[in-house]
Amino acid sequence: MKLNTVFNVTRYRSDFASHPEPPRRVILLGNPNVGKSALFNALTGLRATVSNYPGTTVEVYRGRLPGTEGEVLDAPGLNSILPLSEDERVTWSLVQSARSEPGSLVVQVADAKNLRRALLITLQLAQLEVPTVLVLNMADEAEARGIRIDVAGLEAELGIPVKTTVATTGEGVEAVRAAGTAARAPKNHLPLPPEVTGPALELLNGREVPPTVPPVLASYHEALLAHADRLARRFATDAEPASALWSRRLGRLAVHPVWGWPILGLVLLALYELVGVFGAGTLVNLLEDGVFHRWVNPFAAALFSVAPWPAVRDLFVGDYGLVTMGLAYGLAIVLPIVTTFFTAFALLEDSGYLPRLAVMSDRVFRLMGLNGKAVLPMVLGLGCDTMATLTTRILPTRKERLLATLLLALGIPCSAQLGVILAMLAVVPLRAALVWFATVAAAMVAVGWLAARVLPGERGPFVVELPPMRRPALANVAVKTVARVEWYLKEALPLFLVGTLLLFLLDRLRLLDVVIRAGEPLVTGVLGLPPEASAAFLIGFLRRDFAATRLFDMSRGGGLDPAQLVVAMVTITLFIPCIANVFMIAKERGVKTAAAIAAFVFPVAFAMGGLARLLMRELPFLVAP
Amino acid sequence: MPSALTAGVAPEIACALCGFVYVPQGDACREHRCPFAVSGCTTRHCPRCGYAVPDEEASVAARFVRKLVGGGGGTSAHTLADLPAGAAAVVERLRGEPALLARLTAQGLAPGVAVRLLQRAPTFVVEMGETTIAIERAVAEAIVLRAEPAVR
Repeated sequence: MKLNTVFNVTRYRSDFASHPEPPRRVILLGNPNVGKSALFNALTGLRATVSNYPGTTVEVYRGRLPGTEGEVLDAPGLNSILPLSEDERVTWSLVQSARSEPGSLVVQVADAKNLRRALLITLQLAQLEVPTVLVLNMADEAEARGIRIDVAGLEAELGIPVKTTVATTGEGVEAVRAAGTAARAPKNHLPLPPEVTGPALELLNGREVPPTVPPVLASYHEALLAHADRLARRFATDAEPASALWSRRLGRLAVHPVWGWPILGLVLLALYELVGVFGAGTLVNLLEDGVFHRWVNPFAAALFSVAPWPAVRDLFVGDYGLVTMGLAYGLAIVLPIVTTFFTAFALLEDSGYLPRLAVMSDRVFRLMGLNGKAVLPMVLGLGCDTMATLTTRILPTRKERLLATLLLALGIPCSAQLGVILAMLAVVPLRAALVWFATVAAAMVAVGWLAARVLPGERGPFVVELPPMRRPALANVAVKTVARVEWYLKEALPLFLVGTLLLFLLDRLRLLDVVIRAGEPLVTGVLGLPPEASAAFLIGFLRRDFAATRLFDMSRGGGLDPAQLVVAMVTITLFIPCIANVFMIAKERGVKTAAAIAAFVFPVAFAMGGLARLLMRELPFLVAP
Repeated sequence: MPSALTAGVAPEIACALCGFVYVPQGDACREHRCPFAVSGCTTRHCPRCGYAVPDEEASVAARFVRKLVGGGGGTSAHTLADLPAGAAAVVERLRGEPALLARLTAQGLAPGVAVRLLQRAPTFVVEMGETTIAIERAVAEAIVLRAEPAVR
């Protein structure tokens, strides 16, 4: 039996020892939910920009160390540096860059209560010989739980600076900044047989990317974990039981087979109050009537009235004007709704509720060939389907990504549309509103169920970590929200303008009427709606919330009875969300898939509309006043 | 001790060759720097002389023969999916897709780890030390537990 053991000899980087300059690049990494973002904000002073890592959808936050040229990057949370998923590949390549560029270092953030899992990553950093500072965050929580950590001992054992912080209060953050110059590659005393570490190290060094995951990686993690556990037990005492903590009780209640449901109901109600009532109601009114109708539109009209050609005036301030429709729509209606939505989403994210929502909804998504993890893109889809289509990348298999994309395109109304739909449903009896909900839900489940059986491929296993529930830090929520809204505006606003321009051109070229006449048999014949509704459905190809607004106008003028209103709502809810969404599907899943999804969704939308019409004709009490 | 990797490990055994008494994956293994002790110790090697002591629980054939001859032990593999809510146990081994196993082990779920099953519905929820994860039944069935009675 050959007992080859691998000892990694620590090589001290001379450029750190001899030139104690401030670091040029700091990469924050660590397990999920260890307060990495809070430390990032404390280090950079709340000035972050968010960008997608090149070629991926993984969000990487960037900031600067105050007073220096040093850049700070917040990598996605991970449990191992092995690049097995897209998130991990991003973090892995950031670690690689810290290895090769002088002046770069890794600040590993750890939950002081869960040292063993953090040390698994530290040991990998040791194998990669990356200059590292270890930060034991949430030191206050660890102390409250009676955990004592021998920081000096750990420093000596690992040969790197180890700092304790409470990132949310800023405690210890200055010491972390100062420790940058003392970063070293962690010492590695871990003897591992090469048959275990060999394939893992190949993967870590990027020499080989296997098509399938080699079975030995689990043994590699086990080996690291066993050593990490020994270290953790040598330098930290065990925690006292936490069953009395409110956060733990709440965390358990939120996934409880009985109490989980009322809690879910409360969360949804709060979401509705914040986004539906406050965002889509109060704020939209304020911006639309108070700002655009009173100030911006008259000002733009006055500005362009000097233009000699009426076409130019119409282009900017006409019925389909870039200012009066494009900008007003993007800034006055969509901006407040997405801002409140992303605030709510960040609150849910930082409170630790989202993974619990995944647990509660696992059953439903399983029916549709997905698992509870799919709830993340679906909830985000209630904010913006286009952005949510991007996040379907978090799903592990191709089949799941395709299914989630299809369901988002089919039936998840985005916040802008939901606002309009809720306003419309308020004018029909509750029974009729339930017809709308039941038809849309039935279409989603039926399509998901069928597609799950038709599409080839597998569903990935459901494994979701449940972090402790905690009170979200408002600064953190604000940074996330602002960064996402900025991203959204950059993506969406140009498309509003392009869409408006398209409508303007169709209108000028008199093509609008042609298309409306062509659609009449379908709209009047199948759906039983007045012919003018064709115009609404046509602009529904651009944005379905646009169409919903048009239909809302028609019903207010008495053009639609309650049954027709419900039929129109069902059809427009099941439409493709917007043209941007089609582009996004084409970009993410290919042009063929986008065409197939569009070709599938429109007939389904009209068929379900027709079905709702039949249902209400056979059971007239559903819509009787 | 919730996060104790060695909580509930098999009791002391004596090496059949040299008679050295040790706890697999215990202090003796560490002091002797046994290279097998770090990888979950699925094989039982004497840390002094290196002699391998057969581990009946890890061998399907051994369990089958044990059942035939009627000796004790030899219960069929019982997994996390068989555990009642609220019960605790120690992980014996993981089986299934390498990708899933790599992920679970990175999250701290590995042989020798003490786990507690918090609930079975809507999904299984497992607690190990400071880590709580939700898994579906199929994943729970991939986690084989040690045969000894669970500590409640």
